[in-house]
Amino acid sequence: MRLALPLLGYALAVAWWMPAPLARLTAPGLGPRLGLAAWLTAMASALAAAAAALAFLIRAAAGGWNGLAEVVCRSVAGHACAQTVYQSAAFELVLAVIAVVAALAAGIVAWRYGRSVQRARRQTRAHREVARIVGRALTGGAAGDGSLVTAGAAASAGRRARAVVIDAAAPVAYCLWGRPATIVLSSGALEVLDPAQLGAVLAHERAHLAGRHHLLIALTRGLAAAFPAVPLFSRGQDHVARLAEMCADDAAARRSGRPALAGALLAMATGAAVPAAALGAMACAVSARLGRLAEVPGHARDAGYDLALAALMVVMALGPGLVALAATRA
Amino acid sequence: MRGFGELEAVIMHRVWDHAGPVTVRELFDDLLRERVIAYTTVMTTMDNLHRKGWLARVKEGKAYRYTATASREEYSARLMREALDGGGDTQAVLSHFVAQMDGEESDLLRDVVRRLTSRPPR
Repeated sequence: MRLALPLLGYALAVAWWMPAPLARLTAPGLGPRLGLAAWLTAMASALAAAAAALAFLIRAAAGGWNGLAEVVCRSVAGHACAQTVYQSAAFELVLAVIAVVAALAAGIVAWRYGRSVQRARRQTRAHREVARIVGRALTGGAAGDGSLVTAGAAASAGRRARAVVIDAAAPVAYCLWGRPATIVLSSGALEVLDPAQLGAVLAHERAHLAGRHHLLIALTRGLAAAFPAVPLFSRGQDHVARLAEMCADDAAARRSGRPALAGALLAMATGAAVPAAALGAMACAVSARLGRLAEVPGHARDAGYDLALAALMVVMALGPGLVALAATRA
Repeated sequence: MRGFGELEAVIMHRVWDHAGPVTVRELFDDLLRERVIAYTTVMTTMDNLHRKGWLARVKEGKAYRYTATASREEYSARLMREALDGGGDTQAVLSHFVAQMDGEESDLLRDVVRRLTSRPPR
């Protein structure tokens, strides 16, 4: 019990106060991988502290129930020390109620998370089947060009991904994880992209698949669904998605060059007339990605951001342990 | 080789391209011109497609005549709607290469690209 409250306090502090500095530090997208790691560390840290707090609460409540039974027993047997025992029983009862409510809340959270992940998986599978059957195979040089330098099963999944073309005017490109991993392009996309740009788009999508970004997205989306009002998760999912895009951009820029990637971003983004009102946030994300590509990276600035992020990560990785230690010493 | 998955796609495209309902035999003969394949494989695959709702069939004598339950265009449109609909849960929604934007924003971006391309690529 003495540990539960400080740990809970720590979890809440990370969940409410960490998003702002993390957003600021990861916004420039200088090292998107480190940025991703920092967001995920914060989430893991808050969750670990909250889980530990919950465990301590449940243990305290279990002890409380025993005490309660003892009290009932004694009050039946005789009227010895009724006053103090009753008081402590009431206290323990309250404690037990809190623990039960917390356990229920944890159950609801787990259920919501599972439902979100499950639904996404089911819809993705159905979507992939339609894409696979309706789409024409992408032919030509870019289609088979998957010589990524990375190794391992995920990388080969990205390499083996089948690219299919769907007849649709809007320029669209996205990837679907699974067997087989599938990259979907619209015919409208092929119309606006030159071969180098198409290569950049494919490299970008393959990087998503090779980096298993779908797992990150599923995880953070699930957490956001489980804790809808918690800033770390509700804001975190957008930042994780944005940083994953930037990771894939970096891979595509290495492979196809920055001009091809920037050209592809522009062609795809402006290729079709779409109501301006619907765009806000995503459009901003595109200019941020483009601006990043146009910028000459300054090493001093890189290092400063990286250092701050790394320091934050260390603090958060050790956080729950330090809080528990301080609470036992106090 | 992707086995049945790939064959399902091939068969659906044949059915779509075919004028009117088609029997397994007709499709099998059609496919034989291009690849080595067993009649039963075609039959099983079409049966699967029927079970999954892609194909409708009516009995005609001893054989079934198959038709697609929706046109290729309808499926494409449905797919794109699903992919572009931000409310969906599909992974597709989250892995888009880019979202569309308005004219002012694109002017701004064009400027960025001009700067990029005028500099020698790094």
